[in-house]
Amino acid sequence: MPKVVACFKWVVDEAYIRKGAGGALDFSAVDYKISEYDRNALEEAARCRGEGGRVVALAVGGPEAAKGVKDALSRGADAAFLAADPAFADLDPTQTAAVLAEVIRTRIPYDLIVCGEGSGDRYAQQVGPRLAENLGIPCVSYVQKLTVAAEGGRIVAERRVEEGVEVVEAPFPVLVTVLPEINVPRIPGVKDTLLAARKPVAIVKKEELPPMGEAKLETLALAAARMERNCEIFGTTPEDIARFVAALQRQGAIG
Amino acid sequence: MEFKLTEEQVLIRKNMREFADKYVEPIAAEIDENSRHPAEVFKLLAEGDWMGIPIPVEYGGAGADYLTHILAVEELSRSCASTGFTVSIHVGIACMLVLLNGTEEQKQKYLIPMAKGEKLGAFVLTEPGAGTDVMAATTTAVLDGDAYVLNGTKTFTSNGPTGDFYMVFAWTDKAAGRKGMSCFIIPRGTPGMSAGEHFRKMGLRSSQTSEMVFKDCRVPKENLLGKEGAGLVMAMAGFDHGRVGIAAQSVGILQAALDESIRYSKERVQFGNPISRNQAISWMIANMATDLQAARLLTYNAAWLKDQKQVFSKEASMAKLFASEAAMRHTIKAVQIHGGYGYCKGAKVERLFRDAKITEIYEGTSEAQRMVISGNVLR
Repeated sequence: MPKVVACFKWVVDEAYIRKGAGGALDFSAVDYKISEYDRNALEEAARCRGEGGRVVALAVGGPEAAKGVKDALSRGADAAFLAADPAFADLDPTQTAAVLAEVIRTRIPYDLIVCGEGSGDRYAQQVGPRLAENLGIPCVSYVQKLTVAAEGGRIVAERRVEEGVEVVEAPFPVLVTVLPEINVPRIPGVKDTLLAARKPVAIVKKEELPPMGEAKLETLALAAARMERNCEIFGTTPEDIARFVAALQRQGAIG
Repeated sequence: MEFKLTEEQVLIRKNMREFADKYVEPIAAEIDENSRHPAEVFKLLAEGDWMGIPIPVEYGGAGADYLTHILAVEELSRSCASTGFTVSIHVGIACMLVLLNGTEEQKQKYLIPMAKGEKLGAFVLTEPGAGTDVMAATTTAVLDGDAYVLNGTKTFTSNGPTGDFYMVFAWTDKAAGRKGMSCFIIPRGTPGMSAGEHFRKMGLRSSQTSEMVFKDCRVPKENLLGKEGAGLVMAMAGFDHGRVGIAAQSVGILQAALDESIRYSKERVQFGNPISRNQAISWMIANMATDLQAARLLTYNAAWLKDQKQVFSKEASMAKLFASEAAMRHTIKAVQIHGGYGYCKGAKVERLFRDAKITEIYEGTSEAQRMVISGNVLR
């Protein structure tokens, strides 16, 4: 049965982000969680493992991501790898994919890699496809249903595309990025959490990996969305309707 | 001194939060309105090992500590105080009674299915004329050959209509006073034992409560829990455990009252501003948050003492007394903050307000807690 790798990102729980003065985001009292879509990835990996398979959970992040490892292990993974370093705290997708590829290539035997379609914080949808490219394996994205063929060695995946569903097959080794519709992630039971502490965890430090390259993306600022209410009341006379159309044109709402 | 939960406790608490948000919060108003026992939720609780958290794995539990159980009761009660309480009395009293006092055979037969959540436990002590005054009980158990024969009437039995295994207290030797009461495990369906109708209560309505009537109820000798005459001591130790659970339930209610008050006071605009900007409101919320913190620390401390195998009777009573009275005091304020909307069905604070009241009454009234505490400190 397949050896599966499930990648997850340890992201800020948006419920704890506060809006500071002047619209800046205040991260001073935040908690973290496994990115929502990655819970689907972990669940799907556990489902695909079947009898005799193995699931390794893998993350790259700052030292605080270590807290996510037990959470991931309580969701069905058998072991975990974590590339943890302060320098890995805020990587861009190219760098994340480079680190993940290096750890997988050198340390984790695999048939199938499962990623969430995008992360819960930036949702750039970059890491999955880039990781597949780095490893030189096929990538199947937007997967809403996944089956490991009974005879093994390949997958059958349903992709949700713009106007319908596309069914594709791909041989192992292969990477899939999954949509939230693919499954309902479990809520770990008490024993699942307690057992997680006994599963093996390997920490990979920055020094053990080749340089990951420069970031190709620069974040200039993060700000809270601002809502402005401009209330103007129009009547139903021809003059008012003309005024209404002019107002919409002025705001660029219509051409 | 370290005020820090373990990584596992933090995760388990989060998982219970998610469980409660997903499965309990959406039905809490309905099961309150209809006084319905949510069997479907208890099936899921059993699947997640939530029905026997502090019971060792070999006896069907999750093998975690008591504090972890307390965290789960708190989070569950934050969504539904009835559901939180049912777990609390099942684990904290029924399961703990068998774990601490049962024979190996009794643990195999009764504790394992209870800790797995397959069977629900009940604690049967209170009588119509014997509340705080336990010694005024009149139910008797007379040995007749290889069985005890029980006669009497119990009341306010939580899980009475829904229970599977009942921990029933009765006099085996009334003349022996405090050493004359014994405890029996009686399975549902035993001839001579019957549960009455579910009481219509002010709050905690989905927790099932009834009379229990014993009429020549024959209970095999091997169903005696602990030694003959040890019942009262066992009941008091059971209360110590249960009271930490009621404290946690109160903390959950209080947290929910605070959550609702913060949310509503920031949304509700009067005189051009959210009412949270009025000192009259913001100070209510400050007091609520402060008492919540104090109640939580007292509660966790009592559970921690239990886990350290230290005496925690006084601390359990203190936690229960403070947390339950804080829950009542502040749910009144939470309704006040909500104004007319808080007085109507559909507002969560209306339910919290009704649910809070029972925490000052059951498993020992506030007055009984003060008796325990003063008895301890004046000794």
